[in-house]
Amino acid sequence: MHRSLLCVRILAAGSALQAFAFSGHAQSSPDPKYDFYVCASMTKDFTIGKRTTRLSGLFRIEDRTTPRHIGFNHPKQDAVAVDPSDPKVIFTAGLNGVLRSLDGGESWRIMTSWDMTEPKDIVIDPNAPDHIIVGLPDGIGVSRDRGVSWDRMDSGIPRKYTQSIVVDRTEAGRMVAGTEKGIYLSEDGAKHWTLVQPADATVTNVSQSPHDPGVYMATTQENGVLMSTDGARSWHQLDGLTSAHTIHNGDFDTTDPDRLAVCGWTIGVQVSEDGGKTWTARNDGLPTANVWRVAIDPDISGRLYCSPHQEAVYVSDDFGLTWRHGFFEGAVVWDFAFIARP
Amino acid sequence: MRTMNFEKQIFVSGLNLILLTGTAVFAGDLASDRRDSYLARAGEVVEWRASRADLSNPEAGGLADIAAKLVLNQDLDWCSSKVIELMQEPSGDMFWMFPCVSVAYLGRDKLSSEAQGAIRNAWRVYMPNRGDTENHWAMYYSSLYLMAQLWPDQSGETWYTGKSSTENMAEAREYLLSWIDLTTTRGQGEYDCTHYIGEYTIPMLFLATWADDPAIRLRGRMMLDYIFADLAIDTLDGIYVGAHARTDDRGVLEKWHHLSSFFSWLLFNNCPAPGFSWGTYFSLVAQHYNLPEVIFRIATDRDGPYLSHELKRTRNRWRNSDLRNPPVYKTTYMTDDYAVGSDQGGLLQPLQHHSWDLTWAVDDPRGVHNTIFSIHPHYSSEEMQMYFTEMPDWMPDAVVFQGKASYNKEYKFLGGSKYEQVFQDLDTIIALYNIPPGTNFEHINGFFSKDLSRLEEDHSGWIFVQGGEAYIGYYPLAPYEWREVIQLDRQLNENVTKDRRLYSPHLKNGTIIQAASSDEFPSWEAFKDTIRALPLEVEREPTPRVRFTTLRGRNLEFAFNQAPRVNGRPVNYATEWKLFDSPYLQSEPWSRRLTMTHGKLKRILDFNTVTITDSASDE
Repeated sequence: MHRSLLCVRILAAGSALQAFAFSGHAQSSPDPKYDFYVCASMTKDFTIGKRTTRLSGLFRIEDRTTPRHIGFNHPKQDAVAVDPSDPKVIFTAGLNGVLRSLDGGESWRIMTSWDMTEPKDIVIDPNAPDHIIVGLPDGIGVSRDRGVSWDRMDSGIPRKYTQSIVVDRTEAGRMVAGTEKGIYLSEDGAKHWTLVQPADATVTNVSQSPHDPGVYMATTQENGVLMSTDGARSWHQLDGLTSAHTIHNGDFDTTDPDRLAVCGWTIGVQVSEDGGKTWTARNDGLPTANVWRVAIDPDISGRLYCSPHQEAVYVSDDFGLTWRHGFFEGAVVWDFAFIARP
Repeated sequence: MRTMNFEKQIFVSGLNLILLTGTAVFAGDLASDRRDSYLARAGEVVEWRASRADLSNPEAGGLADIAAKLVLNQDLDWCSSKVIELMQEPSGDMFWMFPCVSVAYLGRDKLSSEAQGAIRNAWRVYMPNRGDTENHWAMYYSSLYLMAQLWPDQSGETWYTGKSSTENMAEAREYLLSWIDLTTTRGQGEYDCTHYIGEYTIPMLFLATWADDPAIRLRGRMMLDYIFADLAIDTLDGIYVGAHARTDDRGVLEKWHHLSSFFSWLLFNNCPAPGFSWGTYFSLVAQHYNLPEVIFRIATDRDGPYLSHELKRTRNRWRNSDLRNPPVYKTTYMTDDYAVGSDQGGLLQPLQHHSWDLTWAVDDPRGVHNTIFSIHPHYSSEEMQMYFTEMPDWMPDAVVFQGKASYNKEYKFLGGSKYEQVFQDLDTIIALYNIPPGTNFEHINGFFSKDLSRLEEDHSGWIFVQGGEAYIGYYPLAPYEWREVIQLDRQLNENVTKDRRLYSPHLKNGTIIQAASSDEFPSWEAFKDTIRALPLEVEREPTPRVRFTTLRGRNLEFAFNQAPRVNGRPVNYATEWKLFDSPYLQSEPWSRRLTMTHGKLKRILDFNTVTITDSASDE
């Protein structure tokens, strides 16, 4: 899921978008328009039931440098979603279920009950911000009242493990799910799902282009990187990327439609500057080529973040040519999210 | 049967008395004596725990120590101050929650208001991890239920969940009822666990002790009966035998060394206790559970060999399976001298599964490796993804890092494999292995104990061994060599034991076990001659296949990926296996009823009506 999409749409409606004149070079914005959220586990010393000595869970990084922990010290938060119309409304998906804060992270409530465990992804429908969709190990859950009540809506998906969810920001009722056995598309608000691309194992992440809403990218465990240019109806595998190891996620560069980045196990960070036709490894300076997550900063052109296995988050200001130590130590990042400031 | 006593002479006196007279009059005395000795043992545990706390050491003392001292009314000021200190940095998730429950309830009238307030505040500011499996959820929700009951009518702002006391209690109750229903209709998910039995029985005892709702209290007691009956039927002198959903590297060889044997010691008094530590929490309130006589008798007083079938299920499968909780078919054959137990093999549980073994009886199990079995040592991200919701590539390394250190070791004796299939008929086991090239690993391991009194490699291909009074024929389907047995200690050092490992690097492989009691034969030689003469046909290609006429005269045919046949009739697990099916325990699938019988004693647990019915027939 590309987590800046909701916010891009809002910015596009106003004059704020013009405030950014991205040149294609690393350039810090004097006044970032996005808040930066990270879901991270300090995994080096974590075992269920063991004393935790460091803070894990959700962090907000307003200055792109100093993470501020939000909420409970929770060892596994997989994903975060923030209401584009009210940034104080934050949802996370993690081991204890779906958590919601209505006050910017000061207080929280577990919105799911015992029968929904370990949601893997969570999105807010940009077409209806009260609608929350979660990918679950056993299907898809939908709430139409900001998480107060939930329905299971995964008809048509026989193997229900769902790792990733994207809601089409341009067409209400369309959503795409990355599951154990492939990519499913719903065009009726999750009532029915249709397999549009089989996969040999888990589809790890799906994201929608911020430039062309008909373009989607999916990363997979065994089928490399898949791309769709017709609104997720058909998919093709991109050349030049391995299928031998898991690719964890991919991201579009909001400032440049030709720029993409993906990351995974043994491949580190790979970037494309021609819309996915060719790929280049950008791992010089990274401590390992096992990378959990990559993101492209929508505020700072050329800025990449990545999470090498049990290391710090590394930062690049030249689209991966060089990397520097950013923040955290011994961490695994499950989600980077950029949320537009109103 | 072997009479063992590891505690009070009065128990044996009582047993002798009823055996001599056989009258109900003395049964009451026996039950009373048994109850007294049970409480004495529980008291010993609590005393031990309370005495461990070094009050002069500010670093020492945990919730278990505090709880024990609260039971004994000792050092209450220290208890209060220690609680306040410990609640400042709560940690440990559900393993913190239920100790917290014990301290909160035992301390209601003994802890200072500040200490009680510290506990209350911790349940506001600390969010325990709910976990990812049923033992986690049993601890989590029974604890949440009881704490919500302790602090009723409080708003969501006062709870880490953000939910009110009423909401927390309702959610917890709903989960617990759901789990009880699932267990009594389709079988337990983490079945016959040698350690995790405590993660279920302690929460159930806490509910039986402290729940205000009499129906929840009763359900707690009924589930204790249910789980302890399950333990009783599968114990040989207090040792949990056969297949386990979860066990561990040490205990899979030293069969006694488990928390399950603590419960055997506490409840049946038929083995020594392997340690008191985790059992402390049960012992704190042990007086609130009264083991039914019928379960005690099932565990300690058998009328000859018996066959037991059980239907269980896997824990939740998330990937690589069309079924969420596929069935597990267990078989146990129990005699006084040995027990043979198994499930059907495969990836029935992650990491710590144990699919089959033969265990022989010993007078004193401490330090003894009284078992024999073989496994395909296997690890894979496929297995991890089946049972966990994480990304694949790091998972095997992650579980090793998180305490399951043997998981990716080729010498291990723990864990299941999708390339193993097992069939058991009475005291015969056929385990077949069909291992694809490139699999981790490409061999099988057979465990041969240091405590075998005989081991002879016979020209016939059989390996004849004796353990205790059990004569055992072990037939490896493929050539092998002997290697060291390596065990990891707590510091993850690799230690070589005095046992032997049958290492067979052949992908098409298998093991046949035929057991007998020594008193069935005039001599060891006669046993060997008899086994050699049993008709046996083995094929390894294209897939392993065995035809074997057992010592009991039954013609077995078993081929990998095919239904086993007994005397020409295919075995249909789906229709033939009940939740419990033995001379002592009976339960139909989906019935929610368990009938326990021993002699004239009968107890029926009916979860439909939430009732216990006891009766004694006049035989």
